[in-house]
Amino acid sequence: MTGSSDFARAWGWTMADDDHDLLPSYALDAVDDTDRHAVERLLAADPDARRELDEYREVVAAFTVDERPPTSLRDQVLTRVAADARHSTETASATGAAPSPRPVTRTSHRPVAHPLRRRLAALGMAAAVVVAVAIPTTIAIQSQQTQRELQAEADTIAQMLADPDAQVLTAEMDGGGEVSALVSAGHVMLAASGMADPGDGHDYQLWAISGDTISSAGLIHPVDGSATALLEAPAGTTLAVTLEPAGGSDQPTSEPLVAVET
Amino acid sequence: MRVATARTSGPDALDAALIACATGTADTFAPVYDALSPAAYGTALAVLRDPDHAAEVTQDVMVELWQTAARFDPARGSARTWVVTLARRRAVDRVRSEQARRHRDQRDMDQSGATAQYDVVVEHVEQRLEAAGVRRCLGSLTQTQRDAVLRAYYGDRTYREVAEDLGASLPTIKSRIRDGLIRLRTCLGVDHG
Repeated sequence: MTGSSDFARAWGWTMADDDHDLLPSYALDAVDDTDRHAVERLLAADPDARRELDEYREVVAAFTVDERPPTSLRDQVLTRVAADARHSTETASATGAAPSPRPVTRTSHRPVAHPLRRRLAALGMAAAVVVAVAIPTTIAIQSQQTQRELQAEADTIAQMLADPDAQVLTAEMDGGGEVSALVSAGHVMLAASGMADPGDGHDYQLWAISGDTISSAGLIHPVDGSATALLEAPAGTTLAVTLEPAGGSDQPTSEPLVAVET
Repeated sequence: MRVATARTSGPDALDAALIACATGTADTFAPVYDALSPAAYGTALAVLRDPDHAAEVTQDVMVELWQTAARFDPARGSARTWVVTLARRRAVDRVRSEQARRHRDQRDMDQSGATAQYDVVVEHVEQRLEAAGVRRCLGSLTQTQRDAVLRAYYGDRTYREVAEDLGASLPTIKSRIRDGLIRLRTCLGVDHG
């Protein structure tokens, strides 16, 4: 690490401390856009802050008093949902993909693709890896909430890509497919391509293994055989993918298809 | 290490139903709508206090819930907390953009307007709190903490606006809201440790 990195980290830490006190106000949506952005940067970088936010959100949810909405609303919502589901299926078919429910996945967002592509290209990575992070063009992000979350992720990825010490790892998956991982300062950006359809009743699940602890890092829903995920993982964490019963498992129930040591 | 976070209660059937929507059809969503739309509507109504506006927000929130089901992570919180979070964010955004519009339309708007608005809704607040799960825990807050938290929750005020309303410093209000929520967290037994 250079002196300037140490300075940036020290500065970031001071700011993060201050922003940390804003987590309860953020959970109440009692922050303006400037504060909101600062807190989201903290959340992108600090899993403990995310855990704390989850707790405050549960507190805020305890203020809720259920009220029966107008009965006409049910049909309106289900009609929109049916139209949305049909549109997604048609779009997937039109592009020659297996019908998939909706192409909205956690990190698939077009603006993310470009810097990552450039960086991977600059690193001289194989073309296959670049393909791995190609993002479907059919994604329609509609809510501000989603945009903000994606912005926080994009900021994290931008920081990772700016890190000269970032590493790129690749590994083959059993059963077909390849996983590449961009590893930088406690974050890992995973990109998988060529994944087989998990089949009815199954999902791919991502795991983070540290010592004896195996934690679920969520399900992977490939679109056109490709998927991306951004997660926090301290150096030395091993990431693995298994095939699990639909909805995932608390702990892995099958042999890893691939494992990446960060 | 913590990649995924733990939550107080284990994932339940409702969480599983929402997860199923990530790969399901519109039919998969119907029971999720039935179970969670009252939480979305109640949340929106608490913020907007207008049944028509609350219904519009609820409609958008429930469609968003369907569209983002793949991002729901039951390790981080329940489906109910997730939908409440979505609903509150959307309702607050709507109030703020409405406020911004009114500010533009009415440049000499009375600065005390917001405080008056809060006072007007005190009765509404008390009625709603009677039924809220958090009610039994509000007694664990100091009067100043309670006032700051309720202004932020029901007055749709940012902590900066709460500080202005009460003539208190920003760090003071930030601390009251933080300490208030920490006490509520303890009282409600929320611990994702």
